[in-house]
Amino acid sequence: MEEQLKIDFEKNLKDFSYSDQEKKFKETNFKEFLKQGFPNRKLENWKFSDLNQIIQSNIGELTFYNDYKKENQIDKIELISELEHNKIIIVDGKIEKIDFKFEDQDKIEVLVEQGEENIRENINSLINLNNAFSNKFCKIIIKKNYSLKKPLVIYHSTNKNTQFKNTNLRIDFKLNENACLRLIDIFKDNSEKNFLNIYYNFEIDKSSILKNYKIDKSINNNVKYSYNNVKQQVNSISETFILSSGSKFFKNEINCDLLGQHSSAFVNGIFDLDDENHHEIKSNINHLVENTKSYQLVKSVLEKKSKAVYQGKIFVSSEAQKTDGYQLSNAILLSENSEFNAKPELEIYADDVKCSHGSSSGSLDENSIFYLMSRGLNYKEAKKLLINGFLLDVIEKITDEEIKNLIKNLLGVKE
Amino acid sequence: MLKISNLSAKIENKSILQDFKLEINPGEVHAIMGPNGSGKSTLSNILSGKKGYDVKGEVLFENIDLFSLETEERAHKGIFLAFQYPLEIPGVNTNVFLKTSLNAIKKARGEKELDAIQFLKLVKEKAKELKFDEEKLGRQLNVGFSGGEKKKNEILQMSILNPKLSILDETDSGLDIDALKTVADGVNALRKKNNSFLIITHYQRLLEYIKPDFVHVLMNGKIIKSGGPELALELEKKGYENIN
Ligand SMILES: Nc1ncnc2c1ncn2[C@@H]1O[C@H](COP(=O)(O)OP(=O)(O)OP(=O)(O)O)[C@@H](O)[C@H]1O
Ligand SMILES: [Mg+2]
Repeated sequence: MEEQLKIDFEKNLKDFSYSDQEKKFKETNFKEFLKQGFPNRKLENWKFSDLNQIIQSNIGELTFYNDYKKENQIDKIELISELEHNKIIIVDGKIEKIDFKFEDQDKIEVLVEQGEENIRENINSLINLNNAFSNKFCKIIIKKNYSLKKPLVIYHSTNKNTQFKNTNLRIDFKLNENACLRLIDIFKDNSEKNFLNIYYNFEIDKSSILKNYKIDKSINNNVKYSYNNVKQQVNSISETFILSSGSKFFKNEINCDLLGQHSSAFVNGIFDLDDENHHEIKSNINHLVENTKSYQLVKSVLEKKSKAVYQGKIFVSSEAQKTDGYQLSNAILLSENSEFNAKPELEIYADDVKCSHGSSSGSLDENSIFYLMSRGLNYKEAKKLLINGFLLDVIEKITDEEIKNLIKNLLGVKE
Repeated sequence: MLKISNLSAKIENKSILQDFKLEINPGEVHAIMGPNGSGKSTLSNILSGKKGYDVKGEVLFENIDLFSLETEERAHKGIFLAFQYPLEIPGVNTNVFLKTSLNAIKKARGEKELDAIQFLKLVKEKAKELKFDEEKLGRQLNVGFSGGEKKKNEILQMSILNPKLSILDETDSGLDIDALKTVADGVNALRKKNNSFLIITHYQRLLEYIKPDFVHVLMNGKIIKSGGPELALELEKKGYENIN
């Protein structure tokens, strides 16, 4: 793999005339990735999965070069019809279209530049990989006091012939004071056997609200990793909702730094898994000042040999008095071979805090099934009703009505 | 309507019903009384199709072998069980559940399903008759309902589904005096239409409101004595040990 990486990296560099600074940035990241390789079980955050092995068994040998000069077709991409939205269309890690047609154009700034930002922190090797190979950085800035009228949908798609490839995408978002953005990520693949690596940076200023909904519903044989790095100032809110379902492997990491008082972070998610799919959510909520709040709820419905992992971490620094941190996960195992792993981590250095966590898993309740069937529902209907009921409270956590309905439809939850 | 012959049931090799016989004709009300653990709920569960019992014998419902029918098919054919312990189903709205249930049965019978408006009209009417707080219909099924409310909800379901054979497993336990009367009214309304009932109870009182045609005493998995309504009174006085 190392040979391939080097060849592809050189090829990638040659395609563009990078400034010395950009080149250095990419090279530093590349070297770091070469040194560390893909994450494996030795790392606390990857206790339940060895990415190298996952890539080997689901994809095989990866290649890393992407021709960003090539124009990709986007007219065949299926768009959401249920709600009006702004959109960004991405094919194989390349932004093909940015369209904020519902917004005041002077309230949103879109900067597209080539890797000039300096690496600020060494988060993990996948972000090094991302920085080394991703195309231009796109930075979206929402100006002060502006709330987007419609959600922004980012379509993540792949070309038919994008097999055995790793594609990378990085987008930075800045919400200035009192701004509001509803962001939906939709994953729709046209190809099999590739590895998508996404890195989002969010700066959320005072009193701003970010809502990010990640929807991985369409079935595909791909491996995905997504990292949200969220920095929140005073009074800000971030709400993340993950519907994790369609991909072969998907790991979502949410890192949230609560830097301003009265800021709050919500991370909710559903694992709706079938076959041998393996999905994970890893959260790090860092309470760094007084009076911050976090809430996490993850529900899983696991069929066949599927596996879900939820590693939720609440970190409370010594200054962060009056922290309110909560996390809960529940799973229904629909087969003896399905697996749910929850690993709550609490690291608390302040004394005046309210933190709790809980986790449960079990099979579908046969008595409840009998009750529903005795009222005329067949087994399938009874099961569906019970599962929908089980998922309802996490769906109800979605604060946006329109998007809640979209997700209800996707899950087949009626009424 | 219902003919049970030589029914025996075991669970985990423990014998619960033995050589059980019972025949119920259209429009008849049969009451079964018996001590705790004598097998009353087991009988109800087996009739409505709960799995997990090792069952022998024959049960005919309108001349169809009941054991050849799935749980939901029995409901489609008109068997209804009011549970001794109705289950709480989180996240499932009571109204949605009632409508799903009614329409599943209608569909199976080849009848026209009710739309939302028709359904609401029906459910409102029935809730009113049974003095069932309508606000509860918007809540999650049985979640946070009191014991008595859960029982009343069972009777509401019964009234809406209009079954041919209703099995009431200790529906009266936990009901207050007024609720007992409204439940009895609900039963009597259905009874007029030639529907049958199997009423399991520990108390004679319910049978004052719903006059049974027959009373049976179940002990150790068998009917040891049958008679008219006077048998319930006798039981009340003497207790199970001294009957016979
Ligand atoms: N799933 C089960 N596993 C093992 N034993 C069972 C099971 N279900 C019932 N039994 C046993 O079968 C016997 C009959 O139980 P059943 O619930 O039918 O009694 P009942 O007559 O309804 O009693 P009650 O008046 O208390 O409601 C009891 O001894 C009970 O413990
Ligand atoms: Mg009982």
